[in-house]
Formats: sequence, C-alpha cells, structure tokens
Amino acid sequence: MAELTLDRLRKSFGSQEVIKGLDLTIADGEFVVFVGPSGCGKSTTLRMIAGLEDVTSGAVRLAGQDVTRTRPAGRGIAMVFQSYALFPHLSVADNIGFGLSLQRLPRAEIAARVRAVAETLQLGPLLERFPRELSGGQRQRVAIGRSIIRDPRVFLFDEPLSNLDAALRVQMRLEIARLHRRLRATMIYVTHDQVEAMTLADRIVVFNEGRIEQVGSPMALYERPANRFVAGFIGAPAMNFLAPGCALLAGLAVPAGAREAGIRPEHLALVAPGDGAGGSVELIERLGPETFAHLRLPDLPDTVTLRLPGDSGVEPGTAVALRALPDRVQWFDAAGRALAATRG
Amino acid sequence: MAESTPMPARRFDPWPATIFVMLAVLAVLFLLPTAGVVLSSLKTTHDISMGDLWSLPATLYLGNFREALSNPSVHRYLLNTLLVTLPATTGSITLGVLAGYVFAKLPFRGSNALFLVLVAGMFFPPQAILVPLFRMFNAVGLIDTLWPVIVVHTALGIPICTLLMRNFFATVPNALREAAIMEGASEWQVLTRVVLPLSLPALAVLAVLQFTWIWNDFLWPLIFTKSDDKRTIMIGIVNLKGQYSVAWGVQGALSLVASLPTLAVFLFFQRYFIKGMTMGAVKG
Repeated sequence: MAELTLDRLRKSFGSQEVIKGLDLTIADGEFVVFVGPSGCGKSTTLRMIAGLEDVTSGAVRLAGQDVTRTRPAGRGIAMVFQSYALFPHLSVADNIGFGLSLQRLPRAEIAARVRAVAETLQLGPLLERFPRELSGGQRQRVAIGRSIIRDPRVFLFDEPLSNLDAALRVQMRLEIARLHRRLRATMIYVTHDQVEAMTLADRIVVFNEGRIEQVGSPMALYERPANRFVAGFIGAPAMNFLAPGCALLAGLAVPAGAREAGIRPEHLALVAPGDGAGGSVELIERLGPETFAHLRLPDLPDTVTLRLPGDSGVEPGTAVALRALPDRVQWFDAAGRALAATRG
Repeated sequence: MAESTPMPARRFDPWPATIFVMLAVLAVLFLLPTAGVVLSSLKTTHDISMGDLWSLPATLYLGNFREALSNPSVHRYLLNTLLVTLPATTGSITLGVLAGYVFAKLPFRGSNALFLVLVAGMFFPPQAILVPLFRMFNAVGLIDTLWPVIVVHTALGIPICTLLMRNFFATVPNALREAAIMEGASEWQVLTRVVLPLSLPALAVLAVLQFTWIWNDFLWPLIFTKSDDKRTIMIGIVNLKGQYSVAWGVQGALSLVASLPTLAVFLFFQRYFIKGMTMGAVKG
C-alpha cells in the first residue's frame, strides 16, 4: 500500500493538451473517485497512473518513488477495466491466475492463491467456467479477482460498473466498498455516476477540461462547491442557477460581486400563495420516496427544480408559490467562483 | 370475440428455387473436371484412348495409382513439395502475424502508409518480377535448388498474411492487451498468450490458403528448378507423360494423390473455422 502523488502532470496528443498540469496527493488507503464530464481527462489520468499512457511532462510518484517511466507491471498497480477485459479463451481460474503464471510461480501456489481469491469473491464454483458462461456481475468479480491476486499497492477502476444493470450496480458498489474496507488499499475509481462517487469516495476529484476543479469529501463538494462547475456537476438533479434580481431571490442579501445564485432542489420550499415567487408546475417526476417538480417561473428562462416528499399531491399545471432557504443559497462571481460559504 | 382470419395462401417464391438451381449448375461445373480426372484415373490408357472420357470404367482399374505411387520420382516430387510448402507456409504466416500485430496494436508514425505499401505487394503480377528474381537467384547460385521457391513464396505470402492478420487483430479489444500488460506480460507474451489464441480462425484460414496456394503452384518451381530431383509435384504430374503418348490415367491418379494433402489440411483446420463462428455467435 502506498501514497500516490501526481506532480504537475501533463499530457498532450499532438498539439492538443488534454491534461493541463495536475497536482494531487492520494493518501495510503484512501478511496478517491475521479468524476467529470466526458472528455475531461479523468480516464487519461488513470491510464497515466497505470502506465498505459505516456506522460508528456510531470511525474507520478508511488510511495515517494518516481514511477513515471516505470513499465505498468513494475508499478505494483492493478486495474479493473470497464469492459472487464477478461481473456475469453481462458477459464476463470486461468484469468485470475494469469499474472502469477507470467511470473512462473509453481502451479500449486497459483492454484492455492486463485482458490483463496475465488472464495473471498464467491467465485469458487465458477473456476472452471469461461467468461462467456458468466453473468455481468460474475465477470466483474473475476476482473476484481485478477486485480487483487497480485496484492497490488494501488487499485485503479475505470468505470467498472457502467456495463451492469441498475440492481447489479448497487450490489457491486457495495462489494467494492467492502473490498476497500477489507484491503485498506489505495483505490482510484473513475465514474460518471454521481451515486457511485458520493457513496464510495473518501474524497472526490472533479475534473473539467484537463484540470482539477475541486478535491474534497463528497459532502464538502456538495455543500461547499468551489465554483459554478462543481456546483452544477455534483448533485442530481442539478443545482438551479438564477440571476440576482429574479422574484425567487427577492429579499435576499446579495454579496458584493455576485453574478449568479445557486440553489439545490431540496433548498426550495412551497409556500402559501403570495408568500413567495409564483409559478406553475410543468412536469412531475415521481421516484417513490421523493418527487421532483419542474416549475416554470415567469421571470426565468429555464425551469426550476424542486424536491418534494414522495407523497406530494402536486400535479402538472398547478399554480404554486415557492421560496429559497436563504442560508442555503450559494453565490458565484462573474468568473464562476463561489463567493463565500453561506453556512459552516 | 376476435374474428378468425383466413390463412393467407402461400405464394410461390421463385427465389430459393432459382438460387438452388444456379448453385447446382455451378457445383456441377466445378466438379466436372474432378470427375473427369477421377474417371480417367480408373481406366487403362487403352480405354481412355478409345475416346470416351465420361463413361464409367467397365472394371475398377487401380494400376494407374500403383504406377504413380511406385515411381521413385513421385516420392521425390512429394518430398520436395513438402520441403517448400511447410517452411514457406509457416514463414509467411509467422511474418504476417508479427507485421499484422504491429500494424494493429502498435501503430507508429507512417505505419498506415507502410501497411498500404506492403499490401500493394499483392498486386504485382508474378510475370513482372519473374525475370529479375531469376537473375538475382542465378547470381547467388541458388537456381535449381528449392531455396528460391521457399523464399519467393514466403515473400509473396507476406502481404495477404499481414492484411488478414492485421484486420483480425484489430477486432481483438485493446483492453485485453492492456489488461495483460498490467498483469506483467511483455508484448511477445500478449501476442502468444492472448491475441494468437483468440485468432485461431484467422490462422486456420491463412494456413489453408497458403498451404493450398504453395502446394499447387506450378510457376515458381518451373522457373527456379531444372533437374528432375528438384521438381515439385505439380511439375511432376506433367513430367509423367510418356515419351510418345500422354499417360492420362497415371497423371489423373497422381493429380488425385497430389490433392490429398491440401484436402487433409482443410479438413484439419475446418474445426477452427466452426469454432470461430460459434465464438462470435456466443459473444452476440
């Protein structure tokens, strides 16, 4: 296990710079999740850490040792791929033991270690099967088994659950969380799924256009986003962005330099007519425990999203009035930077 | 209650029947020469010279086969053909695999252009390079040995082998290579332990193509060899004609014997074609 440091890491493809100088330290045993929109550089960064992508400049350090030019296998890093990348012509046992067989370890030792890993991942009865005979979840477990058998210092996960259906994704998410708790290994996990990021991460790293926008614990990012991008990216449904002067913000003290306000859907409340900004319900999304209402307000170009209890009887077309919880409004300046935390 | 709809009358679709008839005619056309050879191989020279090639033999005459197979020259021809075909097939496929892997998985600046140049080698007519090659091998004293035949077949096989293997390797996901590398595999181990085992269908196709093409070749052994003990089987069949008359029966028998190795190679590798097809079906 080891601390991982990225030091002014840059990557260019031809003349296009895709990673624009990353500085990041990941503590030993930490679970860090990289999130960001498509093409923001999170997977490229992961591949540079793995050694699958050359670094244009900067350094990758593992336990203080510069591994920037070290070949992937020499770094002590294991990677779980989005497509599982299981070898279709090898059995589950041979897939899990592939790395050990390359090291020419004795067959008996490989078999014993494969069995031990298979037991922990409930793959014992499947060892003789081939990947094509396994379900998606089982394949993912084999891929995880192949990565843990070599006892790596760092685990990398590249969107490992994105090919699974929703129910299986929840189950595998829990398994990965348990795995992390058991191994206490340094893990870096790339995803575009907010729930995975929020539930798994010790810290989340938000990427945008090859830069890190913010690093922090899930709740810190949710409650105190550093800028408009992070505020809009973290949280689903996304934060509502409003121009100061709209009816919904009437009566709120606008900090100096504020150009935009952000309010999360749960920080808006329905009030009696006349006590807040008036609007009408355009669309209702019922999720069971909660309901999201998309409201049309006369002075705003976009709809405003509001979270309501699951049993809310609001219907599309209903006229409503709403108000923002004043101490929960985030303010952003012209450059999109958060002005000041409105609550501690 | 739903009304019962009358069964629509099955209309006669002429296409399956038309296609069947066309395929049957083509099959007969393709099989006719083989049938002619089989028939003549089972007749005596006297029967054949009576002019009725297509009649069934009155008695099953196996003398032609005995004569062909007991001829020591035929043994030499078969051995020579094997000595050319095996190394040239193996050599061209090996080089094609290596080049194809680099073009598919390890591209470099200009590799696409180089790939096009290499594949363009397929379009050279042999007649255009025949004289220069003869002069070159003559200059190094290799004429009337099997070496020029082996070298030329290996070289001429590289473009098609590279093309086929490169295109097949391109279908093997990069993540498999990367996963193997993360596990500690060298590029050679990625090729031999991951990519090649997944490419058996392509290797089988190439093995059959190259073996058949080299085994059946007439031109290059004719150009590069002179003495009878250096000839390959296809030239040997021609050499078996008598001094004053053509030994149709013996030639027919030897033609059939000569086609057996290619048939055996095809039957051996056929299982991998089927395996390849079912692999795709399971993957969906």
